[in-house]
Amino acid sequence: MPHIPKKLIDEMIEHAIDDLPNEACGQVNGKNGRPLTVNRVKNSAASPFRYSMDPLAMLKLEQAREETGEYLFAIYHSHVASEAYPSQTDIRQAFFPPGELDRQPMFPDCYYILVSLAHDPPEVRAFRIRQGGLVEEELIKSED
Amino acid sequence: MTIKVQVTSVIQKVVNGQSEFEAEGSVVSELIEDIENKYPGFLQQIANESGELHRFVNVYVNDEDIRFINGKDTPLNSGDVVAFLPALSGGL
Repeated sequence: MPHIPKKLIDEMIEHAIDDLPNEACGQVNGKNGRPLTVNRVKNSAASPFRYSMDPLAMLKLEQAREETGEYLFAIYHSHVASEAYPSQTDIRQAFFPPGELDRQPMFPDCYYILVSLAHDPPEVRAFRIRQGGLVEEELIKSED
Repeated sequence: MTIKVQVTSVIQKVVNGQSEFEAEGSVVSELIEDIENKYPGFLQQIANESGELHRFVNVYVNDEDIRFINGKDTPLNSGDVVAFLPALSGGL
């Protein structure tokens, strides 16, 4: 069960709203098992229907994590008008090469967080994507 | 000429876990060939059987996407930084 400070959840929702009408995306860095920061990443696709994280921004975040000893706690993105659940595209693209579901996903140890703006208030849910394309929901414990 | 190569975690497993290393080449295609010689399996990660780069792999020379320069024929100079970065994307 991921323990995520309410402040970070609010930051992801705020990002999703700020980037309307397009999907928003980003990464949550963590350390010692706890999420620390929400890092907005440019959605290069600039689309309401898909996201593509800016590759250079991802590289720089990864390099920064190597320096600080942090790790990738979660990848998040928004769905502007659909449920907070990974789409078939989300699942396919979690693998490298995309759609090679019999491999380990690219980031087997991180959470995939979905922020849905389909309802008011927005909904935030966390998942693991497993080998085979299986999706397991992990209930978020929100902390003040 | 010596080029600094950077890769993200997804590709690191085929280059002995390194995030950064050096390789040689005067254009991107030569650089890829040199990396493949040093780390067999690299090419398979980034290109199809015809040797064409996967569209879900981004290659940058000094922070410029080679799609907007000259693709695999993009020239390299000593000290250049070339990054191979798998896409992270999704959507409906």
